[in-house]
Amino acid sequence: MSASLAPECNEVKERYDSCFLKWYSEKYLRGKGTEDECASLFKDYKKCLTVALKERGIDQMLSEARADHKESDEIHMRRKCECLPAADC
Amino acid sequence: MKVFSNECTFDYSWEEVSTANWRKYCPWNDKSTHVIAVDIVSRQVDPATGILRTERLITCKQTAPKWLAALMGGTETSHVLETSYVDPESKKVTMVSSNMTWSNILSVQETVVYQPLSGTQTQFVQDAKITALCGGWQKLKNAVEEATVTRFSENARKGKEGFEAVLEMSRRVFSEEKEKVQAQAQQKMVA
Repeated sequence: MSASLAPECNEVKERYDSCFLKWYSEKYLRGKGTEDECASLFKDYKKCLTVALKERGIDQMLSEARADHKESDEIHMRRKCECLPAADC
Repeated sequence: MKVFSNECTFDYSWEEVSTANWRKYCPWNDKSTHVIAVDIVSRQVDPATGILRTERLITCKQTAPKWLAALMGGTETSHVLETSYVDPESKKVTMVSSNMTWSNILSVQETVVYQPLSGTQTQFVQDAKITALCGGWQKLKNAVEEATVTRFSENARKGKEGFEAVLEMSRRVFSEEKEKVQAQAQQKMVA
């Protein structure tokens, strides 16, 4: 898998990445992937990454870009209501 | 604004392609060496649609032409945010990416879609809109856009070659894994 921009996060990232890849190919793609089994590993990695982003001054730039990307959700998450007015959505 | 479009077919199933996509930028890919890191910023399965939404922060080595880097203010690395949507039901992967570095002068918006053509083939469609935002001088804007399109098409070619290598390795590793599991099962039966 790919490295993290923060070498100090590589180890936790690798553990998370392998967990995710296994879940993705063996469960998610087979329609059995509702439960997030890698959540705790992701939490460890995210904790490390958040600090690293802040230290490198990328956090602000990232949150701006993330806000922009939210706009794509409407198109790609099928969020726009397509059902009948009476339906609960 | 300039538009870069590209399309190609991979002789692998959609499942293989969408899995390998997560490790596109790993050591097996010796072509896309401009990508030095890929971090996952957020990831969740939407309970309503079953769509897996992921945000990745991609860190690249600066490969812009020298004159352009000098103009924009030199940085050694650049960052891209990629938001992807996997819909396992309709078998579609959509990735939307934009540049974070130099975003006040240059806007690069890329969309990539992977969809199955058949059980063994997957189509890749890429579109990028490149807009120089620097005010005034049209000639300069054109030059900035041209240079970006050129770099984009170079990276697209390398990206395909690199991804092919990752797909091949993934298939090999997967079948070795499978053989190992089968061999273990046989051993158990014998014992």
